Amino acid sequence: MIDRSYKDLLKMRRYPHTWCPGCGIGAVLKNVAMVLKELGWNHQNTVAVSGIGCSGRMAGYMNLDAVHTPHGRALTAAETIKTVRPDLNVIVLSGDGDLGSIGGNHLLHTSRRNPDITVFCNDNEIYGLTGGQAGPTTPRGTKTITSPRGEPYLPLRPGRILTQQAPYFYARTTVYHLNHFKTCIQEALLWKGFSFVDIISDCIELNGRRLGFKTAYQMFKWFDERFHIVEGVRDHLEEDELGIARAEREEVPKPMEKVEIKPEIPIEDLKPFTLKELQHFDDSEGKAIYVGYKGKVYDLSSSPLFQGEKRMRCHIAGKDLTKDIEIAPHGEDLVFKFPVVGRLK
Amino acid sequence: MRERGMRRLVSGNEAIFQGAIRAGAGYFAGYPISPTSEILQQAAINAEEDPKFRFLQAEDEIAAAIATISASLAGVKAFTATSGPGFTLMQEALGWGHVVEAPCVLVNSMRVGPSTGMPTQPAQSDLLQIKGGSAGDYYPIAFYPNSVEESFRLTVTAFNAAEESLSPVILLSDAFLSHLYEIVDLEGIEVEVVSRSKEPLGRGQRLFTGTAHDKIGNVKTNDPEIYREWLWELKDRHLRVAEKYPLFEYIPCQGSSTLLIAFGITSRILSPLKEGFSIFRPIRIFPILERELKEITQSYRHVIVVEGSDGQYAGWVEWAIGRKVLRVPCLGGGFKLQWIQSQIEERLKGEGG
Repeated sequence: MIDRSYKDLLKMRRYPHTWCPGCGIGAVLKNVAMVLKELGWNHQNTVAVSGIGCSGRMAGYMNLDAVHTPHGRALTAAETIKTVRPDLNVIVLSGDGDLGSIGGNHLLHTSRRNPDITVFCNDNEIYGLTGGQAGPTTPRGTKTITSPRGEPYLPLRPGRILTQQAPYFYARTTVYHLNHFKTCIQEALLWKGFSFVDIISDCIELNGRRLGFKTAYQMFKWFDERFHIVEGVRDHLEEDELGIARAEREEVPKPMEKVEIKPEIPIEDLKPFTLKELQHFDDSEGKAIYVGYKGKVYDLSSSPLFQGEKRMRCHIAGKDLTKDIEIAPHGEDLVFKFPVVGRLK
Repeated sequence: MRERGMRRLVSGNEAIFQGAIRAGAGYFAGYPISPTSEILQQAAINAEEDPKFRFLQAEDEIAAAIATISASLAGVKAFTATSGPGFTLMQEALGWGHVVEAPCVLVNSMRVGPSTGMPTQPAQSDLLQIKGGSAGDYYPIAFYPNSVEESFRLTVTAFNAAEESLSPVILLSDAFLSHLYEIVDLEGIEVEVVSRSKEPLGRGQRLFTGTAHDKIGNVKTNDPEIYREWLWELKDRHLRVAEKYPLFEYIPCQGSSTLLIAFGITSRILSPLKEGFSIFRPIRIFPILERELKEITQSYRHVIVVEGSDGQYAGWVEWAIGRKVLRVPCLGGGFKLQWIQSQIEERLKGEGG
């Protein structure tokens, strides 16, 4: 007996759906619904967000509260919903053109902010709904109706962008490698943080036929030839690999080590200086550089910043600098690391 | 939280922010732009102090506006603030907000345009872009204060109207008013607050889509009947809510046959002229105060619209009252009273007194 309970997650009353026979989106929708069902995610705890395009219609078929945004804005909407309602699971169902081209800026920035949302990208390497124009992921050389001599530019590689800094979760799978596909969906949904599943999918009507494929199945076999599954956790995926690349954030580097402070000599034991005596140590004729600060006299002769005619542009040797340093852009730590040689009378 | 009864110097921007907080706003998204960056900064500080208040410094105004509307759908009162060039980027979200019926507030503090224009000289030249800059038919409600205290009050009003009309309501300001400091006791101002009206996300199986749809959210992209029914219902609702706020100020001057129409900062600058002219100040800018304009203008021989644009409001007045009006456009940030006065005299001379 086949378990069809995943249909609870789909708006069956809206079927038959809008997509062409053979389209990969049906497989995306069904498998996402199956995994959501297994995880117990439903309309009381999950929201689906879509952009525009064939893939953008997916959220509307989910039996969840769904948000269908303007073109490219699915990630912003999903991130905001998660921010305002951390109690909800938020998934994004959209396409490569929506997420990678018109929404490219949001892909950069939402992934950087790392909200706990999961993105399913139906990556069919074409703009299908508008008739088969080249998309951001269309491979170089592919003939489309807007690249009749072959797409001249290199494609966008979301995997390269998304794995540039930890934490990240990027999975690549296809609608043909079903078991792998389901594993990727599940792992992505359970990942804490921004996760992105790049689902290589087919558009037989508006891309496949022009490429010479007669059926969707032929395209699936082509995916099988182009890609192979790699096991285990990777830090990145090569362009022909299907698998999961993920990384936690490395440990936050330790704060800079504090300057060791030598045991303090009682102030009355220090050699007293009058302001006039202090003036003597102004770096002229090889003399030391002394400055006053909060009642003490410091020897700044070893300071690399305190050399030359105009001392760091503002401070003058042989003076009480208490007031100057208070208004200086740097802190007083700069003074404290130098040896104390006396006190101001 | 400050005590009531504490009068202090407050800027227009701060009044807008505090008004939003009083109205119960729980989310702000924005992108730095003069002259509203202070609102973004205050939101950032407020988010640090109040964990219930969420804040996003977005990557652009497109994201800021989309986030504002999404936050509203998710279940909190939300707002954003920008200036003309940023509002241009928000047009997409504005249209979307009207279709998904998301109550929220968009603040536009106007500066001289088009494009980057003159940052940051005051202008009033975004009226047409707030009214109709997004694709299709929609019916925005917009208010425009002329003082710091009124900025506070109208921000609350804008949030209330948003909840009632289920739409993004626009609060206008200008570079002058945003940075105008006046002594106000914000905490002492009494306002009425309308509570959240929309069921938050995660409660059903609804579809919030910018695509034409029927009442239960099924996409309907080829049915004029359903579209018309939806649009007339939306228009009716917006006009009904706007009716609740027929806000204007009318200062008649006995014996004057000339009515000056001015709003926002221009009305403040003109106020010394009230000795010689009647002055009408629309506060609800959109929908146009059609009935009020008709009634009040009919007893005046001349109507002069003094505004910070080349006739963006004057055109609407002509549409509303069915006759020509005289125009004094204060362009490029030039709002000097003396100059305005000489322009008014010149216009009247041209009309034979």
